[in-house]
Amino acid sequence: MAEKIDPKWAWEAYRPSVQAPWDVRRVGHLYRRAAFGATLAELEAGVKLGPEKTLRSLLEGGPGLPEFDRSMAPLAEAIVRSNDSLNLRAWWLSRMLYSPHPLQEKLTLFWHNHFATSNAKVNSARFMLVQYSLLRQHALGNFAALLRAMSSDPAMLIWLDGRGSKKGNPNENYARELMELFSLGIGHYTEKDIREAARAFTGWEVGANSTRFDPRQFDSGEKTVLGQKGNWKPDDIVRICLEQPACPYFICGKLFRFLVSETLTPSRELLEPLAEEFKQKYDFGALVYRMLSSNLFFSEQAYRAKVKSPVEFALGIVRGLEGRIGTRNLVPALEQLGQNVFYPPSVKGWDGGQTWLNGQTLLYRQNLALAFTSTEDPQFGTRLDPARLARQHGVTTEEAQVAFFLRLFLQDDVPTESKQSLLDYARKAQTNKKPVYWTDQDAADQRVRSLCYLVLTLPEFQLN
Amino acid sequence: MTTTRRDFLRHSLAASGLVAWGLSPTFVRKTAAAAGDASKRGNKDTLLVVVELTGGNDGLNTVVPFKDPTYAKLRPTLKLPTEQLVKLNDELGLHPAMTGFGELLQDRALCVVQGVGYPNPSQSHFRSMDIWQGGTLAAHISEGWLGRALKQMPSGSQAFHLKQENQSAPLAFDGAPMRVPSLATLEEFQLRMSATSSADKKEQAKIIESVAASSAKGGLLDFVSRTASNTYAQSKRLAEIGKNYVPKSPYPESPLANKLRLAAQLINADVGSRIFYVSIDGFDTHATQAPTHANLLGTLSQALTAFYKDLKAQGHGERLLIMTFSEFGRRARENGSRGTDHGSGAPMFLIGGKLRPGIVGDHPSLTKLEDGNLVHHTDFRQVYAAILDDWLGVPHKDVLGSEFKKVKLFAG
Repeated sequence: MAEKIDPKWAWEAYRPSVQAPWDVRRVGHLYRRAAFGATLAELEAGVKLGPEKTLRSLLEGGPGLPEFDRSMAPLAEAIVRSNDSLNLRAWWLSRMLYSPHPLQEKLTLFWHNHFATSNAKVNSARFMLVQYSLLRQHALGNFAALLRAMSSDPAMLIWLDGRGSKKGNPNENYARELMELFSLGIGHYTEKDIREAARAFTGWEVGANSTRFDPRQFDSGEKTVLGQKGNWKPDDIVRICLEQPACPYFICGKLFRFLVSETLTPSRELLEPLAEEFKQKYDFGALVYRMLSSNLFFSEQAYRAKVKSPVEFALGIVRGLEGRIGTRNLVPALEQLGQNVFYPPSVKGWDGGQTWLNGQTLLYRQNLALAFTSTEDPQFGTRLDPARLARQHGVTTEEAQVAFFLRLFLQDDVPTESKQSLLDYARKAQTNKKPVYWTDQDAADQRVRSLCYLVLTLPEFQLN
Repeated sequence: MTTTRRDFLRHSLAASGLVAWGLSPTFVRKTAAAAGDASKRGNKDTLLVVVELTGGNDGLNTVVPFKDPTYAKLRPTLKLPTEQLVKLNDELGLHPAMTGFGELLQDRALCVVQGVGYPNPSQSHFRSMDIWQGGTLAAHISEGWLGRALKQMPSGSQAFHLKQENQSAPLAFDGAPMRVPSLATLEEFQLRMSATSSADKKEQAKIIESVAASSAKGGLLDFVSRTASNTYAQSKRLAEIGKNYVPKSPYPESPLANKLRLAAQLINADVGSRIFYVSIDGFDTHATQAPTHANLLGTLSQALTAFYKDLKAQGHGERLLIMTFSEFGRRARENGSRGTDHGSGAPMFLIGGKLRPGIVGDHPSLTKLEDGNLVHHTDFRQVYAAILDDWLGVPHKDVLGSEFKKVKLFAG
């Protein structure tokens, strides 16, 4: 593990310096964490704008969000009417790819992983979208409000068996996960707290389109939860959880792993400045800003300290190549890579980190990179074409092509030997035999696509 | 969540040296050859297949004490009709969906260990699963019992996690001297390439492989590079094995059966396989349990029975031991949603050609409950201890940290 980190330094706002200059590497880093990767134009603009303005624009989102939301709404209605689970997933992936406010979608994904609810059990596109909207509404908002609203969210009521939980015979599933996974973490409550809290979540029913609270089935009696005694209702239990000292640390730690580093286990001391501030109002947007603008975020300790999730891996390529793809085909691809949105593997969400990569998923990743870049894949076709992109940017020589893709996808930060093998390949490939029906242009384009593919197979590209 | 111990462990593992099954062809038949000298630790050619029933299996409706009048009282809607049970004896019967296990019993290949658990049972899925997979009650669990067992076994002893798409490798294998591969199918395990010619293809493959294999880069990059190197080597090897496999007994259609079929292929390919890990999810039956549970137990029983029959017909019956476990049992009294909440104390199944067949231990009392839960009388580590000592040939104290009184699973 790394040397001790000074919390004061860690969370102070980053200012460019000789040791930590504002360069394309840091712009790429920010766009990978706070969005789903950058286009070349975004990288260049970020370098010019400087850290504050670049971060601001990511936090506030670009112009056109209301129009974008309006354009996506009719599709959502159609998905609800047909309860189409494939389009449901494609719809969200489409939002991630094309929303003017990618950070909002990224943090919605964070909350989806936190309150991990699967349509495998909910089986309702309507309710999954209701929950999605709730998560997005609070994505950069208030955690306390989000946690309160979650108690009566229909998808959650189905997922953790709150529906039909009755006075005298409460179902403990939601109360347990509220404490274990949603607010406190294991070790900060007792089995008795769970049994008592479960009584406060009784009385809910879920119909086909809506939820209903039945006061007759609600256990209004006295409950003792985490040392507090009273005739508690759901909001009281949430309040009691939020009052626990463990709560802000639990959430800060989880966000730390999402935004800053998976390799560094933050000490309590390191999280303390964040947690103490966070617990005042549970302003999650402010917490996100504090983390993303910090010295630690822009330090070597955070750089490439995460394994890309499948969504980050795939969407990063698509965004970089500037093509528009139909996201329906992305759904099965991401499922194979282990991240099927709206279908997390358990209420714990995706384990993430190094568990994303194993022999199988790594091969699938490489094969997906090939499908995106080859223009020959039946699913993705020619919608993404590295050769076309390179031409648009006026890149023609082999040297320039290698440099172009390395800058776009890895901000030039790869070992010299890797660069050299790519260059050697590019030169040597010119002498390759080509099929007789190919023009010279066809052959040249094919070489560019292969180069782009090889760049995407570099180990560095697996890291976020 | 903060960095998990698993991540940390993987990280340190990755740094520990380049070991990959597939890199050395010499391990083929190695364990079989070494089996002659069974006195050396771990020198056996036995096979262990661990089946995880994810979510907490309702033991009370799996092995049913039908003679006990309390059963019907605890389970007003979920009680199973006595006449439909697969009878084990005059008092106990298996869930009606488990007819395959009935055949195994006839074949003297089934052993049921009742009332298994551990002290102060956790009712968190994740904590309890970690305890079972870790083989320890320690507060921080960084290694799995199978990972530690593999450390004691001869090099070349292979283990496989046969997974579903989005499953990650189980904690049970953490701590193994080499990364245990997770497989779903053999066919999809190939690196594709778009190239003008086979020479071009070779050239591209060479770059991909050489870049991955180049020297240590530090941090997570080491992990990625080693994963990549191992992957490409495995990919080549897997393309060759298992191609001509024909099962000697038909398998049902289910994800679990497919995984077991894959295990049979790998066993048949003789790549030194010793341990397999598979799981079947969905046992967290808080509501409307009856149809789900019947389905799951039916799938389990059919798949394991087919697998055992196939391996027996291939001549591996006496080498094979299957063990099922779940992170906990469920509350004795059903809840108001026709389901059951988290509990403790549940049965384990063992299947194999060299077992002492039958029932070990009494069914936990239905009246002496703790917090509404069945009370265990056998520690799961007593079962592990027997498997480690008498089946894998690894002294159980080295794996479990202390001595346990072994459950008598094997004859002699």
